[in-house]
Amino acid sequence: MSDSLLITTITLAYLLIVLAVGLRARHGQSSSLEGYVAGGRHMGLLVLFFILGAEIFSAFAFLGAPGWAYSKGAPALYIIAYLALAVIVWWLIAPYISRLGRRHGFLTQAEFLSACYPTRGNLLGLFIGVVSVLAMIPYLTIQIAGAGLLFEAATSGTIPFWLGSLLACGVVAAYVYASGLQGIGWTNLLQGVMMVCVAWFLGLATADQFFGGVGEMFRELQREAPEYLTMPGANGMGWGAFSTAILVSALGCVMWPHIFMKFYSANSERTLKRVFMLYPLYSYLLVPLLIIGFAGVLLLKDRPLDSPDQVLLTLVVEMADFPAWLIGVALSGALAAAMSTAANLAHTSATILVRDVGQHLPALRDMADDKALRLTRYGVVLIALAAYLLALANPGSLVALLLGAYGIVVQLLPMLLGALFWRRASRSGAFAGLAAGAALTLLFQFGVSTPFGWHAGFCGLVVNAAVFIGVSLATSSASSRSPVQALGPQA
Amino acid sequence: MNPQPTLPSRGMLIYFTVCALAMIWPGALVANRIEPLVIGLPFFLFWYVAWVFALFVGLVITYCRDGAQEVDDE
Repeated sequence: MSDSLLITTITLAYLLIVLAVGLRARHGQSSSLEGYVAGGRHMGLLVLFFILGAEIFSAFAFLGAPGWAYSKGAPALYIIAYLALAVIVWWLIAPYISRLGRRHGFLTQAEFLSACYPTRGNLLGLFIGVVSVLAMIPYLTIQIAGAGLLFEAATSGTIPFWLGSLLACGVVAAYVYASGLQGIGWTNLLQGVMMVCVAWFLGLATADQFFGGVGEMFRELQREAPEYLTMPGANGMGWGAFSTAILVSALGCVMWPHIFMKFYSANSERTLKRVFMLYPLYSYLLVPLLIIGFAGVLLLKDRPLDSPDQVLLTLVVEMADFPAWLIGVALSGALAAAMSTAANLAHTSATILVRDVGQHLPALRDMADDKALRLTRYGVVLIALAAYLLALANPGSLVALLLGAYGIVVQLLPMLLGALFWRRASRSGAFAGLAAGAALTLLFQFGVSTPFGWHAGFCGLVVNAAVFIGVSLATSSASSRSPVQALGPQA
Repeated sequence: MNPQPTLPSRGMLIYFTVCALAMIWPGALVANRIEPLVIGLPFFLFWYVAWVFALFVGLVITYCRDGAQEVDDE
């Protein structure tokens, strides 16, 4: 059997296993919308840990992160830092989300925020729903395109881009359609274990094969290109840009709807805290992947790559002397990262479309639970299909849409914190802050450059919080209860 | 049921703030060098690995203290 055929066979076998595990999980769930979306709020420690791990580590972990180490060097450590620090924010917020979700029946982020800040006709809910979906569809498209690229590179073109991304997308849509969060949970467990093993093996084996060990590799890098090993890195990322990128990513991470909504699914607050306690260790997954990027600095010195994201594939598939079956397993691990995130994104987007956007259509108002469940499942298939077509078309504005829409979603953080912890938080303050923060973020993202090279979203958050506090203090009288406490014991 | 979940103690919040400051400006300035290599990693990279572990330890302590105080509402 030729090498590329063997690689293809192993990868297809892996996809079949994922599909089987995902479809099997449908037996465990109740046939309600809450069961489909939040696992009936009964998800345990092990599954929830791997869901939160697998959904954060996307195609970016295997393509973009080594690419950062390869092209920039030390600034790539921002990824490890923000993933670990994000847990502190989760720890403070998630128990409230979980508790109030259970008490009031919330399933989405928009439902939570619009209950705290009611608007006429629930316009806030509609706004959050639309912007979140606009952020998540390009993100999903990037995962599906990433899967296609991985397939094409690892099988040397035996599986072309269109077929590879179709396979990954089809498998994800099938098990999310059938099994909802249960399917995502068990497949993410499998995919999480797979990507941890593959990442560590590839990192250590690459350093060993070319340099005789990780320490030896870094010694050589210290002699040849020491600028990669400390700040500001190879092409000068300043401390301001580095630090604000860490802060805004750590703070904003919780506002990704597919992460926020998982807090509803925990079977208890204690489970959530156990997950978070272990979570920082998951960020060690990036260490071996960054090692591969650093290895690329030395190994590709004479023929720099046009696209830094190709560094892992170039080293593992073309340069290293790994047997074909191992490349097949490695491809499966990288696919796992892309597909596990894709599953969560498709599932969450469909839920938001039906719960937050759909209810504004007259035909869908106050629909029965079984109808909502059916529509959500169709939504998963539709969204997966849309993302696949977008991946084929590959419009250039995709990343801009992702950055712009996610930039706005992050600006919901001050009003969330205000609702939870601040008695004087007022609705007018929250909306004024959101408007100012979102406008400023978009301006900095697409127009003028930021002061001191700070992250656009960070500048937006600072102004957002200042406006929120100022307007709230000016408009509201001292209240004895925060917006969350004002929700009362029952919806 | 308690109306509010318990927050980490003031001491632990300070500890988490220290962890955060160690990973950004100005805390990370002190570690911005290659020597000494620790477990094969340049010092700046090792610094992040070590602080992630410190954060993990802090969360374990917070969790254990929480457990002593609150009975879960489930």
